[in-house]
Amino acid sequence: MSAASMVQTAPNRSEYEELRAQQWRLISTVLARAPDNEMLDTLAGLTGDETALGQAYGALANAAATVESDTVAQEFFELFVGVGRGELLPYASFYLTGFLNERPLADLRRDLHLMGIERAQGRFEPEDHIASIAEVMAGLALGDFDAGVLGCGAAGEAGFFARHLQPWAAQFFDDLAVAPSAEFYRTVAEVGRIFIDIEIRAFALEANAHRCAVSGS
Amino acid sequence: MPRAVLRIAVTGVSYPPANKWAQRRLYPAAVMADIPAFERGMLMAEQGEVRTYYMGDHALILHSGETAHYIDNLQAAKPSLWVSCDKDVVQLVTADPYEGEAMASDPERIVEALAMPLAVRRTIEAFIAEHHVAEEFYKRKRVPATSTHDPRAPRILSPDEKWVQSRGKAGLPPKEET
Repeated sequence: MSAASMVQTAPNRSEYEELRAQQWRLISTVLARAPDNEMLDTLAGLTGDETALGQAYGALANAAATVESDTVAQEFFELFVGVGRGELLPYASFYLTGFLNERPLADLRRDLHLMGIERAQGRFEPEDHIASIAEVMAGLALGDFDAGVLGCGAAGEAGFFARHLQPWAAQFFDDLAVAPSAEFYRTVAEVGRIFIDIEIRAFALEANAHRCAVSGS
Repeated sequence: MPRAVLRIAVTGVSYPPANKWAQRRLYPAAVMADIPAFERGMLMAEQGEVRTYYMGDHALILHSGETAHYIDNLQAAKPSLWVSCDKDVVQLVTADPYEGEAMASDPERIVEALAMPLAVRRTIEAFIAEHHVAEEFYKRKRVPATSTHDPRAPRILSPDEKWVQSRGKAGLPPKEET
């Protein structure tokens, strides 16, 4: 799932979506819990080309190869758990309103309810945790979830992204990059930030193409 | 709190009852700065059915915290002393108009605002000049949410805002490997 494989081949639509889904799932997995040794080995095996995203993956692989899982677990604790609170609060509601469990969470829950998605047993984070939304984005890319109920055609998935991630995800990854305890997660933040930028531009391009097609016909 | 005590003599006037079921009642009529050598309750004058009694001398206490009220009193058209009576007995003499009017809220009680003697007025003016502290009225206002009192938590928690254990074993640095 390196960036190289995305760039060199010209994948068909479904393969492209599958690669997107893998990227989302990677972000979700790393941010939901601290990666164990097995996960770190997998991350260390990543390679990247000379593009910005490829270099970010290279840095992530280097960091994963050198760091111990205990150190990462401690870093995860300082960043996202903490005593009282962690250094960061990776929730959409907090980033959009300044408070937890506010209206953005309610809006997200409404959309998830429409799509028929609900929180799995044993997952105690609110749904507006970045890892949960990234997981939903992965499912949408793969076609596991259907965003058609939110809007016609691609507007469903793009609309979900525009409502629930685009306003704050880039800011969150910027914060993750400068958080005092972040070392391994600084490379994760780099990957996430570049990937979010690519997604934002890709959805804009898609919308633009859609508009041209509609006006041209 | 500094305070000053003055002695004030009070005279009362009793009028004949207006009908055969009513009784005579004694109303405070005047206050005097000089204390006459009379017994309390002595009949001072009688003009027909109208009788004037001496109601004794009473303390007028000036409190330094109420000088603003005394200023209000002196600025009125007719500076007064409030005399409050329960059944022909003087209970209170005050120069504070708000305290005096508050006594009048009881309909059983007789409260009269009587002209302030000039000597008392001079004494109160001197008391005000000595003890009055001008306080500007300050209306407290809601603090705007955009100020430094922003209730929102910081996006990134700085290390000095973290909760750390500073006592006990866990607060110690890790032991050196030997």
